[in-house]
Amino acid sequence: MRDVAVLGVGMHPWGKFADRSVTSMCRVATDAALADAGVEWREVEAVAAASSRFSGGKGWGLNGNDVVEEMGSTGIPVYNLSAGCAAGGNAFNIGWTLVASGVHDCVLVVGGEKMPKGFIQTSGLEEDTDPEHLRQLCVGMPGPAFWAALCRRRMQDFGTSEEDLARIAVKAHQIGKHNTNARFRQEFSMEDVLNSNMVSFPLRLYEICPVSDGAAAVVICSADVARKRTSRPVWVASSSVATARFDDGLPRGLGTVVPQAGPTCHSEASLAVGKALESAAVAPTELDLVELQDNTVFYELAFPEDWGLCQPGEAERLVEKGETLPTGKLPINPSGGFLCFGEATTAMGVFQICELTWQLREQAGARQVPGAKIALAQTLGLGGNATAAVLKN
Amino acid sequence: MTTHEQIPVTEGLFAETPAGPRLLGSRCATCSTPYFPRSAACHNPVCDESRMEDADFGPRGRLWSCAIQNYPPPLPARYEEPYTPYAVGVVDLDEGLRVVARMSVDDPDSLQLDAEVELTIEPIYQDDEGRDVTTWKFKPLESGGS
Ligand SMILES: [Zn+2]
Repeated sequence: MRDVAVLGVGMHPWGKFADRSVTSMCRVATDAALADAGVEWREVEAVAAASSRFSGGKGWGLNGNDVVEEMGSTGIPVYNLSAGCAAGGNAFNIGWTLVASGVHDCVLVVGGEKMPKGFIQTSGLEEDTDPEHLRQLCVGMPGPAFWAALCRRRMQDFGTSEEDLARIAVKAHQIGKHNTNARFRQEFSMEDVLNSNMVSFPLRLYEICPVSDGAAAVVICSADVARKRTSRPVWVASSSVATARFDDGLPRGLGTVVPQAGPTCHSEASLAVGKALESAAVAPTELDLVELQDNTVFYELAFPEDWGLCQPGEAERLVEKGETLPTGKLPINPSGGFLCFGEATTAMGVFQICELTWQLREQAGARQVPGAKIALAQTLGLGGNATAAVLKN
Repeated sequence: MTTHEQIPVTEGLFAETPAGPRLLGSRCATCSTPYFPRSAACHNPVCDESRMEDADFGPRGRLWSCAIQNYPPPLPARYEEPYTPYAVGVVDLDEGLRVVARMSVDDPDSLQLDAEVELTIEPIYQDDEGRDVTTWKFKPLESGGS
């Protein structure tokens, strides 16, 4: 495999943009990424795009084709990747594979989404053969209740308090207010978070990411191209994709097996991150920052432990001591995360690569992790999909 | 006490049997993996041969975790008006099956994790024709509950 560099990144701000199409938002992100890379659209040899379930793509998830038509149809190959909220991460993985394998020298990875109102309806099907549909019909357990049940188990096992949960939302907004692309840029006090509506005990409104519209794009290229264009490339040390294991015990459908060994966790995320760290030859403790998918504050406690970034039961104290801030010893989501951006589902994996790149170039301003050299990105999507990537400068 | 006609929220997932309420699933005769709902094939990647048999599950289990549905859930979930928050649980059955379920409890705050629970079949709402629409729920046993 060849070395791959991130040459340029760009983003359309996250928020609610009733008067804009997802394609026009992808164009803003793509133009910015191309300008940042110093690359003309004509030089892009292929596009890997996240398929949106909710917007554009001719209703078939052909969002990459929309982008190519918008930018100018040059006849290049387009790969539309569908993996729920992991689609942006999947698109990045395919883009990386195309460059690393020598098939292409310069690839655009793009993701954009305009979301409907309210919490995401996890099921796209109204069929009694669809387990997610059955689960909502028979039990009535939407996404937040699923997260809440995982969180409640943690409270039992580790004594996590409601204050511990609220503190993570406070921390997210403490950083996110500095990010001009973020949707929510105000600080929250502990009281603000604890007084926000209980969505699904123990999780409150400000502890769950809302939905947003947003788009992000990155230009990746071979080492030869990178060295010609920049003196400070950001390298893709690894990129990985995984799906869930049969026996991880996570209650995704109506029923699963009680796990025989080990704790219940998102095995897809642990597998993707494990593979990414291994192939980058990076120890969990060497990471200078992590962008992880914080659909809920719970994941900011569970994931670092699942991945060996800290000890089981240690995460609450790290948050309390400020160690997950950009200036701490385990910075998590210096972008402000999805708590500040909201979830533009399929764009999120690309969004994370943008943030990692800004951090590794030391262009992150007030949210900069000092001296960041190695960074991890991770996404998680419906269907037991997960992706991870390690970037280095 | 008036009894309404009862209909299940969907067919083929649960039943009142002579031994009491049960969940209707299957089990692979080769690797013993339990499935709910029924599965036509075994999905265990280390299983050598899928040999599926119908199996009933329940009634006893342990509450692995739970949550409260504090806001009215979106369709296709249905509920009685005015909306009252309910508890949902993740229950580990004695047969090695982990299932999600409504919890049958007056006060959702009173649930204790790791409590012994028992399967029941109870209404969740009344349909337009006045019939009680039922689903499976778990109820804490007196000894193990709060
Ligand atoms: Zn089997």
